[in-house]
Amino acid sequence: MISIITGIIGLLVAAIILMLVRRDNLHAQHGLGWIAVALGFALLGFSPGIIDWAAHSFGVTYPPVLALTLAIVFLVIKILLMDIEHSRIQVRQQRLIQRVAMLEADLKALSRADQSPSGH
Amino acid sequence: MSASVGSPTPSPSIILIPAYNEADVIAGVIAEINDTCKLPIIVIDDASNDDTRSVAETAGATVIPLPTQLGAWGATQAGLRYALRHGYDIAITMDADGQHAASSLATLLRPVVGGVADVAIGTCTRRGSLMRRIAWHMIKQASGLTLEDITSGFRVYNRKAIRQLAGWRATLLDYQDIGVLLLLQSKGIKIVDVPVNMHARKNGKSKVFHSWLVVAYYMCITLTLGLSKRSMTKHFYRPEAAR
Repeated sequence: MISIITGIIGLLVAAIILMLVRRDNLHAQHGLGWIAVALGFALLGFSPGIIDWAAHSFGVTYPPVLALTLAIVFLVIKILLMDIEHSRIQVRQQRLIQRVAMLEADLKALSRADQSPSGH
Repeated sequence: MSASVGSPTPSPSIILIPAYNEADVIAGVIAEINDTCKLPIIVIDDASNDDTRSVAETAGATVIPLPTQLGAWGATQAGLRYALRHGYDIAITMDADGQHAASSLATLLRPVVGGVADVAIGTCTRRGSLMRRIAWHMIKQASGLTLEDITSGFRVYNRKAIRQLAGWRATLLDYQDIGVLLLLQSKGIKIVDVPVNMHARKNGKSKVFHSWLVVAYYMCITLTLGLSKRSMTKHFYRPEAAR
């Protein structure tokens, strides 16, 4: 029963992600990865034998441990990538803020020069 | 644009003052600098809630108004980018709280103008409390830096140093001390300590380190940065105190 629920959740998540991409709430680049994850969930849900087979191949006696370990590894990598991306965006934003402020200072100086009687 | 600080400095120079809510003291700081030299003064207003911007403009400074708060280093970097963009060869950074004595400018400029160093840091180790000294010691041990006063914001940078600090790698930094100094040393930039006089803050309290929680966060960030970038210092110049 639990495998069917996991499979349905996987398909549901894939459908929600497609809807988010369709409504431009999620970049297609990110959506692609999450759809793959959701379909992976659905596959493992509907065919639990896959994880049993993989666990047996790797010598893991209790198959759910393998599934959970892989999920945690995936999540850690994903969070790390998100922080790297966040740092990049932060740098871009900060440099943009600095640039806007510099241009505002230049604009004010030009405006003052125009207004001064000598025109300088 | 040429400097005139006691002794002649032929290179175009500029004074950068990052400021956050310093309306009460900024006019006095600008007046003190103007009494000492005729260098252009740029105040980088870090999105203050008070009248820092208008007070600084009235006192004769050019103001770079940051639309959102970037912190002391983000504001300083905006000033350094401005200096690079406008062709200045030397940038002097000073605090807006009146700690840094304009009378020490000539002393601080000397090693950079004379080509002895690329960066001069105005040091005043006696200003440190016991806790500050312990923090300095820990940071120096973690980073491998041998400079005296690593947190001093009273500095002179030449164009080579300005160019490095205006880049995107420096934008990732939160504070102007360890990260900035390690970045400069990793690029082979010569840094010297210059003993200077410093006043007590005119408004009493640090705007950057306003609570123990902020200090603890600062220490964690700085020690992580120092440890992670420590190896960058080993092949480079060992600064010596410029007496």
